[in-house]
Parts: sequence; C-alpha cells; structure tokens
Amino acid sequence: MAKDLHLVGFRIGRETFGVPISLVHEIVRVPEITAVPEAPAFVEGVINLRGKIVSIVDLRKRFGEKEITQSKKNRILVVEVESKMVGLIVDSASEVLRMAADQVDNPPNVFEDGELNYVTGVGKLKDRLIILVELTKVLQKGELKRLGELGAMA
Amino acid sequence: MSFFSEDRVSELKDLFFESATELLQALNEQGLELERRPQDAEVVRSVRRTVHTLKGDSAACGYTALSDLAHELEDALTPELAKARGKRVAEVVLSAADIFQDMLRAYRKNAEPSSGAGLLDEIRALVSKTEAPELVVLTPAKKAIETFEWSEYEKILLQDAGRRGLKVLQVSLAVDPNCNTRAIAWQMVKNTFQDLGTVLLMLPEDAASMEKVDNLFAAIASSFDETHIAKKCRIPMVICDVFVERFGAADAAQVAAPVVEEVVTTKANASLPVEEVASESEPEIGAASISAAPESTLRVDAEKIDAVLNLVGELIIGKSMLTQSISEFDKKFGRDPLHAKFADVLGFQARVLADLQKSVMKVRMVPVEQLFRRFGRIVRDVAKACGREVRLELAGQTTDLDKSILDTLAEPMAHLVRNAISHGIESPDERVAAGKERFGTIKLNAYHQGNNVVIEVSDDGRGIDREKVVKKAVERGIIQAGEAKNLTEGEALNLIFHSGLSTAEEITSVAGRGVGMDVVKTVLDRLKGSIAIETEVGQGSTFYLKVPLTLAIIKALMFRSAQKLYAVPLTSVVEIIRATEAEIHKVDQHEVLRLRNEVLTLVRLNRLAAQAEKTSKIFVIVVAIGDRKFGLLVDKLVGEEELVIKALDHHLVSTELVSGASILGDGTVVLILDVQAVVSKLGRARTQDIKSAGAMA
Repeated sequence: MAKDLHLVGFRIGRETFGVPISLVHEIVRVPEITAVPEAPAFVEGVINLRGKIVSIVDLRKRFGEKEITQSKKNRILVVEVESKMVGLIVDSASEVLRMAADQVDNPPNVFEDGELNYVTGVGKLKDRLIILVELTKVLQKGELKRLGELGAMA
Repeated sequence: MSFFSEDRVSELKDLFFESATELLQALNEQGLELERRPQDAEVVRSVRRTVHTLKGDSAACGYTALSDLAHELEDALTPELAKARGKRVAEVVLSAADIFQDMLRAYRKNAEPSSGAGLLDEIRALVSKTEAPELVVLTPAKKAIETFEWSEYEKILLQDAGRRGLKVLQVSLAVDPNCNTRAIAWQMVKNTFQDLGTVLLMLPEDAASMEKVDNLFAAIASSFDETHIAKKCRIPMVICDVFVERFGAADAAQVAAPVVEEVVTTKANASLPVEEVASESEPEIGAASISAAPESTLRVDAEKIDAVLNLVGELIIGKSMLTQSISEFDKKFGRDPLHAKFADVLGFQARVLADLQKSVMKVRMVPVEQLFRRFGRIVRDVAKACGREVRLELAGQTTDLDKSILDTLAEPMAHLVRNAISHGIESPDERVAAGKERFGTIKLNAYHQGNNVVIEVSDDGRGIDREKVVKKAVERGIIQAGEAKNLTEGEALNLIFHSGLSTAEEITSVAGRGVGMDVVKTVLDRLKGSIAIETEVGQGSTFYLKVPLTLAIIKALMFRSAQKLYAVPLTSVVEIIRATEAEIHKVDQHEVLRLRNEVLTLVRLNRLAAQAEKTSKIFVIVVAIGDRKFGLLVDKLVGEEELVIKALDHHLVSTELVSGASILGDGTVVLILDVQAVVSKLGRARTQDIKSAGAMA
C-alpha cells in the first residue's frame, strides 16, 4: 500500500496548493514587513519572527497572480528551504491534507519546461485538485542569475 | 544505538582537532624556545611531551599516519640529541609542526594526508648523525640508559600504581647491537616481564618499532627485588645491559658512573639528596595542576553561545511586550495598587536581562594573546627567509576581542607583519650603517578605545616614502597628476591599499609596502573597522587596525527616510547638520552642500524606497569614508541605540547596501546600512539624480 502524503494546503486565488508538512515550521499572521532595498519585486522584505529575521516572499506575486487582495485571512507559511527559513505569503492556509501517493498524477506536460516547472504533481482529493509544488524551485527560478552574481562577488 | 556512537566519534574528532591545534601552537613555541636554548634538557622534554600527547590523541582518532610520524619524532628527541645537534633539532621540530598542521588540515577535510616522508628522513638523518660519533667512543656493548623519561600520562599511571600499594620498578634494557631479530627480542623481554609480575608500561609499545631503537624501557609491578629482575632480564645475545630502579627514585645513578658490567641500583627515596627530590617533584606538581585545570575551563561550540544570545534577544523582546501590556493595564486601572508591584518586578527583570546579555557577550570574548601567540613563528620564518634579524615585542595581550573578529584579523595581520619584515626592516648591515640596532623590532600592541579595539603593528624599519607612492600611483594611472598635488598626507598613504598599486611586484620594492594590501583593507571594511598608517622615513611605520569590540552589537544612529527605518553604524558618523532644499547646489551632476569651508557630496537615501517624498527641511548625516566625507540626506532622525546585529543572509534579500538587520525593543525590524556601499551605489546613479533633483527643485 502506498504511503500517505501529509501536506499543508494553502490557497492562492482559486487554487489549492500543497507542500509537504515536514517543511512547514509554522503558520503565522502577516505582521509588519520591513522592505529591503534592491530586492526582487516578489520579495516583500523581512520580518521579526520571535527574534529571528525571516525573509518574506509574496507567493501570490511569485505565481503571477493578477489581483492581490490584502485580507485578514492572509497567512505566512514559514518554511525551511535549503536550511534557511523563508516566509511565504498566501491568501489563506488552514488545512492539513492527507492523500495516498497513488492519487498524485504527474504534472501536465505543458508545465515541464515552462515557467511552471516547480509543479511536481497534481493530487486528487475527493473532487478537489491539489497542486503540489517544490519550494526549492519556487524560490530559485529566476533567481539563479542573481545567485550567480552574488557568488562571483563573494 | 549506532547513531549515537557515530555522533560520539565525530564529537571526539572535533575535540581532537581543537586540542591538536593547541598542541601545534605549543609545539611551535617550544620549538622556538629550543632554538634559543638547545642545551636545556627541560625544553626538550616539554617538546617530547607535546609530541607524545599529539601521538596518543591522533592514534585514538585513528589517524595513524600522523601518530606514526609523531611517534618517530618523539623517539628521536632526547636531551642528548639536542645537545649534540643544537639548532638543527629545533628546525626539525618546527618543520614537523608545519607538516603536522598540513596533515591535520587534510584529516579535517577527510582527505588522505601527505605521507610526511620528508620529515621522516630528516628525523632519521638527525638521529643517525648523532649516533655515528657515539659508536666510536663507546664500547660495542652498549650500556643501558639510566634515566627514564616517562610522559606526564605515564607518570600519572605509575604513581597511581604505586599508590595502590604495588611495588613499581622501572627497567631500562640495552639491546645487544649484534641482535638481528629485534622483534623477537621484544617479545622475549615481554615474556620475561610477564613471568616476573605485571607489565605496566613498555616502550616501544610494539614489536614492530623495535627495529629503530636500541633501548627498551618498561615499568613493571613485581614483588621480586631489583637484582633478581636484572638477572632474569639479561637474555644472552639479546640484552647486553640492564638497569633496574624503583619508580620514584631519581636518576641519581648517573652521578655514580658504574664500572662493573652489571649495574643494579637499589636506592631508596630517603637516601636521595634534597635537591634531587625537589627537581623530581616538579613535574608531579605540573601533573596535578593539569588534572585540575579542565574543571574550570569548558570548551563550547561558538554556535551554542550564539543560540543563547539569540534567546536573550527574544527575552528582551518579550520584556518590551510585557512593558507594553502593563502600560495598557495602567491606563485601564491607573489607581490599582498592583501598579507599583508590576513596576518593581519589571525593573528587576530588566536589570537581570541586561546583566545576562552582558555575560553572554563576554563569553564570546577572548584575549588577543591567542592571536599574538602565532606571530612568534611567523616573525622567525619570514626574518630567516629575508635575511633579517628581528625581535618581536608584544603588548596588551589581555585585551579582549570577539572570537570571530580575532580569527578574521589573523590573515591581514600576518600580511602586515610579513610586509614589515621583508620591506620595512632593513638588513642588519644597513641598519648598523644607519646607526640603528642590528635587530629590527616588530611590535604588536592592542588596547581599547571606546567601543573599539585598536591593534597596532609597528616596525622600526625604513618607513614608507610618500612621494614614491604618489609617483607610482600616477604612473599606474590610479590618480591624475593634477590630483596628486592635492592629496593629503593620509590620502597619499592610503594609495598603498589600492589594488592597482599593490599587485605589481616591482612597485612594492620601491614603495616599501604593498603586496595584497587591498586585501587587508577589504577585510577591515568587512569587519566595519578601519586602518590607518603613520610613517616616518627612516624611522619605521605603524599600522593601526581599528575594529569594533564585537560584531554582534554596534552603536547605531537610527533615522527615517521615506517612512522607512534605517540605521548606520555610529562609528562612521562624523556629525549631523540641518539644511533646507534651497541650500543644496548642483555641481557637475552632483548634489552638494557647503559645510563651513568644505563641500559635501550628498546622497539621497529616500531613493532606496520606490517613491520619494518632498520635505523642505532635511537632515544631513555627515559620514566619513576613509578621508572623504559625504552627506546622507534623511527625513527624520530617530535616535541612537545599541543594536544586536542579525545577518540578512537569505539569498533572496541579501544586498550589499544592507549589512545586517536588528530587532528593536518593540519588535520592529531595522535595517543597518553599509555606508560605503550606499554612497558608491547611490552616488553613482548621476543621471537619475539630476532628474529627481530637478523634479524636486
């Protein structure tokens, strides 16, 4: 019997996305964010998470969402990517999803080499579709060049 | 459980690297001492002890190549050898220290270390050369060596056995030079010992190393008397001489040189001269203090201390949250008697927190002596390579400095010292001709200055010729000929930190200094420190390295620009002035402001934010970068505060403009700007500058 996947589900626009629960440290309300000069547009800045400085990415901007509404339901998913903590702003996040691994299909071909190659699969949960994303790629795509520059500087 | 043991092994290895680094430092120092006093048997013994400890530790971690080499060196080192070969021994010890260092580095990276065969040859050459003349003098049947040189550990072991009521006898055996089957001899001796009692120690420790040595040392616990043991040990064709002594009796037998073939000494402690007892008891005292020392010192991972510091930071934020809640409570129930109680408790808590923070910060501090100690060796090596005679003077070793800063400073300081010796200090003959002492002096000094620590590196060499530096800079096209005339003394000397000037070899020999000076400057910039030079031709030069006391806390000036809160290190702020937009002039695409009789180039900070605002009254923070001053235009000053710096190290947000972030008492995040980067980056965008300035005017 296939292993169950434990996911944290969050919503951006009308879609539900999922990331493995093991990567998510906590989910917090959106506090005041300090903007950082020269950061890419989808990087909101940094916050103080109980004494730690955590970088904040607006995942909605990152996913190219057109209308971004600030509401009380907005949350920050604090995740660990490549051993660094990053906060992701999402429209809402509240559910833990459990689905069998065999319920996940490979992403449609069109995603594979386009902008959306951070989608690792589409899961079916009853009549809903959950888009599984790979956070490392989400945070790197388009950043590779910048990273390279930083590396050259150091 | 295997998980645990693996963890233990890596912990053990970490500990080993820590202690090995210290052992090598000690070995370097002892090697230098040996070079000064090759006749001192105590110095030789101290080197031996160090090498022995290194051998044991590395063997415990399974680093056999290192332990074998150390073993070889330990065996070779005897006071007799040092007496016979003098400085050559010290050189071998020092080069051994280097090779051990390389091997450690390799082990740390989990790489295979170099074999160290070169060192092995050196050691063997050292030993064989001393023995050659000895063979001529001595009779073919060698005498047993009558002194025992147990290491500290071995001594403790033997003392311990003695305390348990065992009769401990130390035995020295001279192996018959005609014996060709050394390994078998070793086994035979061991069997004999086992018949006599319990073998506590036996050197060499295994049969294989017998090939290289002519003497066997052992300590046994036995109820037989010395004569009986001596008789038993005399194995024909294998052992030609035996010396047995009760452990604890000093090697007084040396004085009474035995004429008889068989020597058996049965001296008791009581019959010893008083002086002998005193000298013998000294190492014992040393051993006792060694066992007591670890209890008062702890080795702690720096990360663990940082974790504590972070928690303290969170506590401080917790405190300010509490303060805020209580002030809300006060508003509601202002007359409540609980109010005073809360205030008391809060005050107490704040005091303890402040103490706690200070204590944790102190833990990170280490005396600069740790850094200075390394220079004895560097000075010696460089002086030797350059044919100079140099003395090293140290001062202010007890000055405390953050460990991470200390480590970062090591490289640039070594650089300065190397340069000072190779380019600054003249050759001995030149010095005498100039009426100076033959010996050049390199002086390292450290002291506190406000929130900074200043480290001085000075020499009494030929100094830096300012004119030559400027001339070369003009030749290299670093500055224009016209500019050269306007340079201040400081600006001219600072040219040596220019990479274009420093990389060219032939310039350094002319200008005196310079290889990689730009690197020195870069490191200090990164530490938020500064470097200054004072020099007089013919008298020498002094470099002043000024670094903050700690990287974790800085005094900063906070201000707002376009509603955003920023901070700059207070050390770079010269003064703050008020101005109006009308006073700002435009010269050659730069915005400038007259400050007394100087002209300040201005940098608008509100361009950091997307939308700039118009304010008629502005503040200008005057900052100094090197010798030049710039003005930062800000909207509002907030105040001065001590900030605990946290890194902004995520690749998404890291930018050279921001050197770190900090969290204020109320939980607000403030960004700490890198003044130099801000000025060079925002000062550069001139065309935009005009547009925005035009829009503003």
